[in-house]
Amino acid sequence: MPRLANSKDLEEERARLLERRRSYRTTLILCGGTGCQASRSLAVAEAIREGIEARQLAGSLHLRVTGCHGFCEQGPVLVLEPSNILYCHVTAEDVPEILDATVLRGEVVERLLYTDPVRNMKIRTEREIPFYRAQDRILLAQNREVDPCSIEDYIAIGGYSALVKVLEGMAPDEVIREVHESGLRGRGGGGFPTGRKWQECRRAPGATKYVICNADEGDPGAYMDRCLLEGNPHLILEGMLIGAYAIGAQQGYIYVRKEYPLAVKHSRIAIEQARQWGLLGENILGSGFSFDVEVARGGGAFVCGESTALMASLEGRVGEPRPKDVHTAEQGLWNRPSNLNNVETWANVPHIIRNGAAWFASRGTAGSKGTKIFALTGCVKNTGLVEVPMGTSLRTIIEEIGGGVRNGVGLKAVQTGGPSGGCLPVDKFDLPVDFETLAEAGSMVGSGGMVVMDQRTCMVDVAKYFLRFLQDESCGKCVPCRLGVDRMLEIVTDISEGRGRIDQIPLLEELGETVAATSLCGLGKTAPNPVLSTLKYFRDEYEAHIRAHKCPAGVCRALISYSIDPEKCTGCGVCLKACPHGAIRGEKKAPHVIDPASCQKCGICRSECKFDSVVVQ
Amino acid sequence: MQQYVSLRINGSRITAPKGTSVLDAALSHGICIPHLCHVPGLTDFGGCRLCIVEIVRNGRSKITTSCTLEVQQDMVVRSDTDRVRRYRKNIAELLVAEAPNSRAIQDLAARCGVQEVRYPFRNEKCVLCGRCVRVCEEIWQARAIGFVGRGKKRHVDFPFGVRPDFCKKCGTCVDLCPMTITPCAGPMKRGEETLCAKCASQLSMTLKMPDHCVQCDLGKGFGCERAACA
Amino acid sequence: MSTDGLQRILEEREGKPSQLVEVLQDIQEAHGYLSENVMKIVSEKLGVPLIEVFRVANFYKAFSLVPRGRHLLTLCTGTACHVRGAPLLISEAASQLGAQPGETTRDGLFTLECVNCLGACAIGSVAVLDGQVLPHMTPSKLRRLIRSIQKTEQQEVANA
Repeated sequence: MPRLANSKDLEEERARLLERRRSYRTTLILCGGTGCQASRSLAVAEAIREGIEARQLAGSLHLRVTGCHGFCEQGPVLVLEPSNILYCHVTAEDVPEILDATVLRGEVVERLLYTDPVRNMKIRTEREIPFYRAQDRILLAQNREVDPCSIEDYIAIGGYSALVKVLEGMAPDEVIREVHESGLRGRGGGGFPTGRKWQECRRAPGATKYVICNADEGDPGAYMDRCLLEGNPHLILEGMLIGAYAIGAQQGYIYVRKEYPLAVKHSRIAIEQARQWGLLGENILGSGFSFDVEVARGGGAFVCGESTALMASLEGRVGEPRPKDVHTAEQGLWNRPSNLNNVETWANVPHIIRNGAAWFASRGTAGSKGTKIFALTGCVKNTGLVEVPMGTSLRTIIEEIGGGVRNGVGLKAVQTGGPSGGCLPVDKFDLPVDFETLAEAGSMVGSGGMVVMDQRTCMVDVAKYFLRFLQDESCGKCVPCRLGVDRMLEIVTDISEGRGRIDQIPLLEELGETVAATSLCGLGKTAPNPVLSTLKYFRDEYEAHIRAHKCPAGVCRALISYSIDPEKCTGCGVCLKACPHGAIRGEKKAPHVIDPASCQKCGICRSECKFDSVVVQ
Repeated sequence: MQQYVSLRINGSRITAPKGTSVLDAALSHGICIPHLCHVPGLTDFGGCRLCIVEIVRNGRSKITTSCTLEVQQDMVVRSDTDRVRRYRKNIAELLVAEAPNSRAIQDLAARCGVQEVRYPFRNEKCVLCGRCVRVCEEIWQARAIGFVGRGKKRHVDFPFGVRPDFCKKCGTCVDLCPMTITPCAGPMKRGEETLCAKCASQLSMTLKMPDHCVQCDLGKGFGCERAACA
Repeated sequence: MSTDGLQRILEEREGKPSQLVEVLQDIQEAHGYLSENVMKIVSEKLGVPLIEVFRVANFYKAFSLVPRGRHLLTLCTGTACHVRGAPLLISEAASQLGAQPGETTRDGLFTLECVNCLGACAIGSVAVLDGQVLPHMTPSKLRRLIRSIQKTEQQEVANA
């Protein structure tokens, strides 16, 4: 592929690719994202290729292995176009039937159709699926249109046209103004106005500047960035190109966490392809603008999601944050002006340039514009990636899109914003998802993680879980975070193990306030949020642990006991074999008994029992 | 030509050379802002968070460490608000609960108004103030020691835990260490740690004049820089 | 670690301190751990003080300073996996292997690690064995998986 010399070359290529794309009679879109790959979608791909060859369908049938569709629990997911039929849980063994029945004869394979768990009925096409229908998939929709390892796919659907618009018709200040007017705010959790950050960086003195993509998505339960970067890396590259042009940067970095090997691989391939086509490197499309990008891998440190820690890591040092009395937009990587944005933030940029600031701002609330992708997980029927306009209520996301609680146990809370965020109870579910609203309520939008919790979740245990996570990930440099989070964990552990005192609650609040106000970086500053929000809304649960030595949700091991209901137990012996501590005794076909002295309350017996005879009190 | 900047600290108008930290500016004007990891001549990194102050800019107040904050024209700084004092006291409480076997830290706690310790005492030998690491790197440029590990596991160590031959045993790290000044009555036994009340008399004075340097004996030998120039 | 392998990794990176994390990542991937000797060579070739190399090796979870087992079993402890029973998996793995997270079994067969979220939350609880992501893991599935590997290794030893 010869280098594109100018935008005319690009448009000619685009037209040619589009025509080739339209020439296929049927396209099989198979999800090859991390989730579906774990469910063996690559074996399905192999089977499809073999099947196409065997039936000599190469000319009219095209297989596109895409990145993540965000519907991972149903994977492997296969969509056929133009019929739009969606099959889920597809295995390699199903492929011959799909090819013969659906592709060749136009017949639907009923058993492979998606079953809507709410109405308990089979759904034929992708666009009818309630999970998808209720969303506004501006960013995610592109994932099914492209093979992430194919720049041709991206160009065919209009890729890099925003870059052309910028290079040929917009001055840097105009670009910044457009982004500013769109109202785009950082999608990584900070919510800082993107246009303002770009402006600051542009104005900062110095000729050498950097743009950085933060793909160190460390919030447990959040995988929006993985989906975008491994599924559509060129979208992020295009965003960074536009940003670099606007700011005056010559070099960019994509910092990807090591736990996302597919995102690392696909970013590298995309960069190589863009270089070959002349969309990265010197004198891009003859415009005089030069820019290149490198991929750097994280080393397994959540704190490296913090901008100054990330930059330290890029410099080859330990990922410890530094005080931000001077913004990184002025002094960042190697002390030079650096503009760092999250993956999703960069992904929005080409769309904003192509469609205009007003288009973007037409969605969302006054303070929070555009759409946001959430990773909806936990105790809901439909888990997956959900893209909705800002301002959508939590209830809509959890009940309409998520399908409500799974397993019949009542809803209890939703946790948003990862370890920096908080838990909101059910009576707050009508709140709109909006930066200011969630922050005021004691949580935050964060990067987009949304974990739904039911009545079997203990909120003290949740607080303990996040504190332990933060203690593990803290860099340890500053006293409030290193010692404060540790002491908060010590207290919450005491409470969860029945040693809590009622005066420890105001102490937790006081210490939490101190840690939040005085920590050096965002990790420490937001560390108290899970504790403080659960104290605010679920104080009675803490008090039950302290005063009554009870864990109402039946989770905290020191406060519960496991026993077997002799009425329900069939004596099958599964629990006896499964118990790692040898705490269960019983004769075959006779009710089994748990020895409380040996029982560690790990819960394995309950998870294995098919007769629901393990009782937790 | 040295440029000067005029700012307000705790209501007093102060002039300081451009590039000075707010902490240095305050200390050189007799305003006491407690600090631990700050040592004259070494770079400040804002680790202990004791020197926090509140600054008001554009109607918004921000809390930050005065050692990492550069003086700016017309800055308004307060180290004496109730909020700042309460946070400082809580941080000092965490430190003394961690390492009660240090006179310097007990003194600091007294100076910051700590009157009770609400956490079980531990008996750690290091508070990770980084004085040793910085002096080895910046003054001697030997780099024989460094902060190794993350979070709770963070500790000061030699490469691979073995003293390298380029450590010349100069002892400056020990001299600067706040842990090497034993409490007046000798080391506290494990399990018998307490908040030392020996400097209570000093405490009453500090409570009357919390933000002014009282030329105290606190941290004798530990090197509060004002005591050094007294 | 072969000198050729190390040479290849250090090629074009000599005298570039900013490449430290990338170099160590490559060595970790190729050799499974970072030895004292290798770190000293890296310090010299890259021009990074020895204490800095040691610091970086200790800071990032990706690096192991001791040789790892033949099989790396990683359990995800992210929020979604946590509510789907990750603690059960940890109990199961620990008792089956006789090793706690972060440790290697005495026979050098397994290293057990925990990771704070792999981004595969919808198919939780997630386990990764030698790089392969395994969805919807349960204690009984994990038990069977571990036992099958132990059995295979025993057979190989018997055949050898």
